[in-house]
Amino acid sequence: MTHTIALTAPAIWNPARVDAANTGERTLDQFLKSVERRALRMAELATGNRDEALDLVQDAMFGFARHYAGKPAADWAPLFYRVLDSRLNDWHRRRSVRSRWLAVWTRNDDDEHDEIAQAPDTNDPGPVLRLAGNEAAQALDAALANLPLRQRQAFLLRVWEGFDVAATASTMRCSEGSVKTHLSRALAALRRALEDYA
Amino acid sequence: MNTDGPDTSRLPPWTDQARSLLDESAQALDAPTLSRLNRARQAALAQRAPRRRAAWVFLPAGLAGACALLLAVGVWHGRRAPTAMPAQAATAGANHSIVNAGDLDMIASGDDMEMVQDLDFYAWLDAQDQDNNG
Repeated sequence: MTHTIALTAPAIWNPARVDAANTGERTLDQFLKSVERRALRMAELATGNRDEALDLVQDAMFGFARHYAGKPAADWAPLFYRVLDSRLNDWHRRRSVRSRWLAVWTRNDDDEHDEIAQAPDTNDPGPVLRLAGNEAAQALDAALANLPLRQRQAFLLRVWEGFDVAATASTMRCSEGSVKTHLSRALAALRRALEDYA
Repeated sequence: MNTDGPDTSRLPPWTDQARSLLDESAQALDAPTLSRLNRARQAALAQRAPRRRAAWVFLPAGLAGACALLLAVGVWHGRRAPTAMPAQAATAGANHSIVNAGDLDMIASGDDMEMVQDLDFYAWLDAQDQDNNG
């Protein structure tokens, strides 16, 4: 029966419809259901791994339910994404440390290993983007995955979640100016990568 | 936060296409993934429940503890109260000549505290004296 539940389209979250007194389990369930898919896609774009993304989303749900579920329902979306953003930052930090240690342990003396050459090029125009359907989605995924974390988060929160600059800044715990900078760079990089498609 | 939809006033038009593609990708998640998301959500909701239940669990326990404390205090007072009885009995004996001096000596001697504490015994003894006198 999980398939029946799982394949049900998530209800659109509208905090305006939530009665201030009705912030119980059912409302919280509806909210989490309305954001879980996009949260998973965000985490997946950040980690490149669905299992890790699922773990991060679960952590974010736990953290949100534990600390912020008592807040007004209208504030839930930015608060949830703040928790998720924090988890993604932690994951990224751990990953960076691990990569540095691995680089030290696996470093050899020959000059054939060039990390700069192997690093993803964010200016890479990417695949041919005058495509349709899955190929376009894959191209967008690849372009988003190549963005730095903060740029990707700014783009996803602003463009996909529809947060304004102030809400995005609050969610990412940075200034509005930083959000504008991250978003501007993200748009430029994505446009370069997707210019044939756009 | 703009809850009515994305603020597209300063976003280039192609971001609409990007948003549509992202929406489609979120809707196209496979059943096992959605099942795991569902379980994660239920687990997150369940971990809140024990905190609320805890108050209800501790309430009866607290009441039981309070009752036990009251019972202990009652028993303690019950055990202390009879020590005052001989004096009361002596006073009553002086006023009404019900308890004679021999009885007071026996009570005051403290030879058998269990007997002294046995109020039923004194009631019976009192009744016997009244019967004999009557």
